Amino acid sequence: MDRREFLELTNKVLFTIFGTSFSMSELEAMENSNNKPDLIWIHSMSCDGCSTSFLGAELPFIDILSRFVNIVFHPTFMASDGENAMKILDNYESDNLIVVVEGALANKNMPHVCMMGERFVNDIVKDVAKKSNLIIAAGTCATFMGICDMKGMYTNATSLKYFLKDENIEKPLINLPTCPMKPNHLLYSIFYYIKHNKVPPLDLNLRPLRFFGNTVHERCIYYNDYQEKIFAKEIGDRGCLFKLGCQGPVTKCDCVKSNADYDKYNCIVNGHPCIGCASENFPRTILFKRSDDDREIEKYKDFKRI
Amino acid sequence: MKVTIDPVTRIEGHLKVEVNIEDNIIKEAKCSADMYRGIEKALKGYDYLTAIQITQRTCGCCPYAQAEAAALAIENALGIELNKNGKLLRNMVIGAYKLKDYILHFYTLSSLDFINLNAILEYKGDDFKMIEFKKYVLSELSSKRVFPNPLFTQTYKKAYISSTNKNIFLIKSYLDSFEIIKQVSEMVKIFGAKSPHMTTIEAGGITTRPTADKLIKYINLAKDVKDFIHNHYFNDVLAVAKEFKEYFHIGKGVNNFLTFDTLLNLDDTYMFVGGFSKDYKFSLGIEPYEIVEYNDYAYYKEAGGYKPLELDNLTPIDFDEFKTNEKKYSWSKAPRYKGEVVEVGPAAIVINTYLSNKNPKLNKLVDKVNKELNITIEDYNSVMGRHLARAIISCLIIDKLLEDALNVDEGVLGFIQLPKVPSNVKGIGLTEATRGALAHFIDIGENGFINNYEMVVPTTWNISPKDNKDIPGALEEMLRGTYVKDEKNPIEIARIIRSIDPCLACAVH
Repeated sequence: MDRREFLELTNKVLFTIFGTSFSMSELEAMENSNNKPDLIWIHSMSCDGCSTSFLGAELPFIDILSRFVNIVFHPTFMASDGENAMKILDNYESDNLIVVVEGALANKNMPHVCMMGERFVNDIVKDVAKKSNLIIAAGTCATFMGICDMKGMYTNATSLKYFLKDENIEKPLINLPTCPMKPNHLLYSIFYYIKHNKVPPLDLNLRPLRFFGNTVHERCIYYNDYQEKIFAKEIGDRGCLFKLGCQGPVTKCDCVKSNADYDKYNCIVNGHPCIGCASENFPRTILFKRSDDDREIEKYKDFKRI
Repeated sequence: MKVTIDPVTRIEGHLKVEVNIEDNIIKEAKCSADMYRGIEKALKGYDYLTAIQITQRTCGCCPYAQAEAAALAIENALGIELNKNGKLLRNMVIGAYKLKDYILHFYTLSSLDFINLNAILEYKGDDFKMIEFKKYVLSELSSKRVFPNPLFTQTYKKAYISSTNKNIFLIKSYLDSFEIIKQVSEMVKIFGAKSPHMTTIEAGGITTRPTADKLIKYINLAKDVKDFIHNHYFNDVLAVAKEFKEYFHIGKGVNNFLTFDTLLNLDDTYMFVGGFSKDYKFSLGIEPYEIVEYNDYAYYKEAGGYKPLELDNLTPIDFDEFKTNEKKYSWSKAPRYKGEVVEVGPAAIVINTYLSNKNPKLNKLVDKVNKELNITIEDYNSVMGRHLARAIISCLIIDKLLEDALNVDEGVLGFIQLPKVPSNVKGIGLTEATRGALAHFIDIGENGFINNYEMVVPTTWNISPKDNKDIPGALEEMLRGTYVKDEKNPIEIARIIRSIDPCLACAVH
């Protein structure tokens, strides 16, 4: 692949994500620009899943991203460690900084549950967020706490949105739930920002409308079966998976809707009901069940901290 | 002199390592896991099947193993056996994910400790990727910014491979590995739906129907990956091993190795066998309730030693106690098997399976490698031995995956309908994750809701703090006694830590 082909591929990828195209000259200008945004990626109470998802994406998202953005700090990929790594965080000056936070934030009464470089990650997020121009919450944990906030937990983790409000940091924020975060969602958010210098259209939970405008159910391949009341009784049956505990009707995401090449595998097509990993209420008490199981699927979330 | 590395980058999660060096020898090491969520005990009151989806979210690097262990525990509790396709497809998902982890670990995470990236500036060939990378490094170095791209700013001085040709050869593989990781990722997604956090692994099998198009796609990808693993990954590891022969003697830990059965064959034997070896004497089989986790040095109020499922609550200490308690230093518990500190992971798999003589293919390959490098099976207990073990395991796994994919009955669902919701049953799930032996214990209460859950995770064994008898953990033991050439440039420490591929989110969960 030469450079021309690479730019063409980038163009194609961006087209499928955006729906609008970048011209080749625009891409070239962005690639050679002196004012590329810098990117700092912080792991808070995370599992690294969003980073891994980004690295394993079928299209060269990371190649595309690394040409149009300077990745300054990323704990999983960077060569330097220890003090040298922390120096970058402390001293990095940038007038065009994007901060990505992966994982929920610790409660301010228990900051010691998440530390890096002998400091509380909460303080690190606070410092870099103040310097930033755009903040992105990657994944369900950073957006809605996800599995960091379950019934019996002591940590009372908070979402990034709530944390920033609590610290009086007013910066543009984009929430990208789904567990793990989908790479194309991040790419869209960053390129939209580079092109328009503002955040894309968002819903009330600050999720891009382009991906989170509909529920999984509304765009599902089994929507017709649902209307015709054809329900699968067990895995492998024909029909809608609703009676097996599918959470598509209460989960906003573009999973089944998007059939782009890089995004063609998803739970429902692979025969498993949606577990609602992008929803505010993930994880519910039951995620998958027999069709004759009539236990109620309950939700547990303290929406005060979202 | 006290040297602290915090954060240790290019691993999974938040790890701090503190060592005391006297006369260039490490006298004492302390490993602190720095992030806590409390997932296992929070599962109480959730449906038994949620354990599969939730426990895999403890870790974004080895979710497949958590999902598998949870599914095995539930199957054990319900007394279910998978059908043929279920067994094969599960191997195909978890096996592919293992490969992804091994390749990712050697190239993305570890190789920057060995390769000198600046050698790219000498590159004279015409490979597009290499030329682009050369341009990129040049522009970064000449940018005069205070911090050129730190992804490629190596911390340590004069510790890398010196031959330009070898470096260039390895840099090419480093760049190619990103492509291969994507392909292996796709292999996982074909039957796993997502990567990481595959939804389709369930108690009862895999929910994806193995249609012909899916199988063909999987096999085609697997062939490319096989080529990379056998011809590049394996040879690259050998090349690095030959450059750094001294690392077969650095990072030697305890001589106790624990493994669990993993990758089921159709004749109900396992590809890698479970057992415990002490001083290179192997005994087959495991007694799971001989595991005890000690909390004296861990940030929990319950400070004793506990068998699996003994505690149904684990309370983290609050912030005030954290500030005043000088003794506790890690969120990780300290598990011990029959009272012994053990090492788990790829080296343990190779050593135990080799000693068991149950897998002739493995013994043959290990013998060949040992002859070429002039080492013995005991040398696998070292930094380079662990890297080598991963490469050996990868070669065997990719061959098995291709074989399994050809054995799948096309169109037959590898999933059996679960029996009615269970009440008051217990189960144990044992398997191997990328980083070593993983055990899940489930106690299902009334109406299918979980009463108690316990995860004993590989990295917990490896990076454990001291136990209640003040015996240090496996990594602390590997570091102790190590000769550090230059205290300001302690690359030996970084290499030892990365050789066990710590995964902290798992370890604490």
